[in-house]
Amino acid sequence: MTMDTEKLIERLAEIVEPVRPLARPWIRTAAWLLIAIPYVALVVFVVSPRADLISKASEWRYVIEQFAALATGITAATAAFATVIPGYDRKFLFFPVLPLAIWLGSLGDGCVKDWIHFGPDGLSLQPDWFCFPAIVLVGAVPAIAIAVMLRRGAPLTPHVTSALGGLAAAGLGNFGLRLFHSQDASLMVLVWQVGAVCVLAAMAALAGRYLLNWRSIITTKDRSVLLHPS
Amino acid sequence: MQAAQGGDTEAYVLLLKEITPRVRQIVRGQRRFLKIEDIEDLVQDILLSLHAVRATYDPRRPFMPWLMAITRHRLADAARRYTRRAAHELQVENIPVTFSDEGSNIDSDGYRDPEALRQAIEDLSPAQRAAIEMLKLREMSLKEAAAARGTSIGALKVSVHRAMATLRKALIKDS
Repeated sequence: MTMDTEKLIERLAEIVEPVRPLARPWIRTAAWLLIAIPYVALVVFVVSPRADLISKASEWRYVIEQFAALATGITAATAAFATVIPGYDRKFLFFPVLPLAIWLGSLGDGCVKDWIHFGPDGLSLQPDWFCFPAIVLVGAVPAIAIAVMLRRGAPLTPHVTSALGGLAAAGLGNFGLRLFHSQDASLMVLVWQVGAVCVLAAMAALAGRYLLNWRSIITTKDRSVLLHPS
Repeated sequence: MQAAQGGDTEAYVLLLKEITPRVRQIVRGQRRFLKIEDIEDLVQDILLSLHAVRATYDPRRPFMPWLMAITRHRLADAARRYTRRAAHELQVENIPVTFSDEGSNIDSDGYRDPEALRQAIEDLSPAQRAAIEMLKLREMSLKEAAAARGTSIGALKVSVHRAMATLRKALIKDS
């Protein structure tokens, strides 16, 4: 850049267009859920819900786990939307910690109870390769939607923002998965489902730099003011 | 800023002109070692970033923390960019480009007698001569040369290595 700053200001003013201020994080989260929840419901409907869903809905453990997974997704989305607003309070980053702790705690508690009731057999671990692709399938549209929405913000912390976005989509994906996948053994859920959620969030974090960066946010039109000084 | 979000050009110019000295002061304060033009580059980068994400400003919230967050992150980005670039750059005081510099007079400059080189190639064994002709003069790939000669890539490599050693010896002896 060699252009005079005064001239740059004039050129930026020439190209400035009205913009609608971004809504607050929780309002954007609600907008995201309006896209994500119908999609998750559609996938569950197409794959067909598990046969014992009605009876499972009365099991407090299942309800807590599902509630915690959903809450993790929602709070992670809110935190992700907060991280793309400059000057926003960093305490938002800790929003998903509580539901995540409840989720992990309830699964951990389930593992202990399985051990007490069934001994070592209660903690047997078999491969369940269905979980990962299923979470990806259920979380795909929520992930795309949140990525598009996050790109409207400022890429201040791309890795953290992407990880939170990935956690939101995968959390919602896991919520949907348990509505049609009959796998309730706590250790299996912890390893194959929560594990998949963590892997997906980590992959999203790695992709953060490519997904959210200033190069793509600053449009060609904005850059043109530097290339064609008047 | 609220007026600028609505597309008010005059308000936008006023705002940018008002914040620029403050941004410049912050950049200068945190990057004392930079030259004036580099500081100005950073200021412009911050203004351009502010322009790109002006929709993220919430009129119900104070403006300065918003601006400071952008400034802080853009300065950190610039520092990371600089570190990445510096890690892949080799600092050289003076690149030897003139004939008086030793560095510019590479060994190949010593072999300036084409007749001696032609003679040395002629004196090579047939296998070594063929290898040199195909790989060095006709610039064929190892795979192509091996196919043309009906030999293996390994044997060809050995022939070239030996031929180069023979040529080096012969040309040094001549000079």
